[in-house]
Amino acid sequence: MEKTYIELKVPSDVYYIEPVRAFIGKLSETLKFPKKRIADIQLTLDEICSNAVYHGSKCVTCGIQLRISVDSHALEIVVQDKGGKGPHDWLTPGKLAEIQSKRSPTGERGHGLYLIECLSDVHKLQANAIGGTDVTAIFYRDGQTEKG
Amino acid sequence: MTGTEFMIIRENADIKIIDVKTDLSSYAASDLRKVLEGLLSEKVDKVVVNFSEVNHINSTAVGTLVGIAKRLRQNDGDLKLCNLASTLTRTFNLIGASSVVEIYESEKSAIAAF
Repeated sequence: MEKTYIELKVPSDVYYIEPVRAFIGKLSETLKFPKKRIADIQLTLDEICSNAVYHGSKCVTCGIQLRISVDSHALEIVVQDKGGKGPHDWLTPGKLAEIQSKRSPTGERGHGLYLIECLSDVHKLQANAIGGTDVTAIFYRDGQTEKG
Repeated sequence: MTGTEFMIIRENADIKIIDVKTDLSSYAASDLRKVLEGLLSEKVDKVVVNFSEVNHINSTAVGTLVGIAKRLRQNDGDLKLCNLASTLTRTFNLIGASSVVEIYESEKSAIAAF
């Protein structure tokens, strides 16, 4: 199967995450991911998009961009934001390690990145050329990697 | 019954029961927070949240429930959850929140646990 791409641009508003989550659910179903894995993909997308809206957007109209690619081996999701209002240092390895080390089950926040790491087969965070972050999550289609 | 379009609030003696009628991504999580904080401001201290119609929950909503449970316990109350789909229970377990918030198989057992 040749690699194919789908691109979506949505406003930086959590209101729009729900329809995007529904879309990725339908796409994953079409790709014949198991039901439990579809729930993982949907939750990962929700967490990445929520982070992009809350931490990677200065305003609603800035928008976040999703690039979804599919081939015979994997479904890859890349969410690109343009950077938030504050100093954009949450991406650095040191800052990420700090977020992870501070995460507590009894805490109200800071679980999103942890879930992304747990649920995806591969995840990457990279600073992009427009001052924001590209977050990538890959889910293999071979059925051998279902987590949990 | 009171609540919002997606959160119906019922009563069973001194316990308030919230029927969540929507999946809980970040947008709906803010609705859930408003409903729960409304109950806190009314001095309600025993709350059950029924998830029988929920297929998805994200970390923002889980964090909201953890925070509200802690605040209710400060007033000798509690928050208990029931009827969670296995994918939802898994999210609570991954985060570790199931060690903080009590999860029951049925509404009846959640109510009986108070």
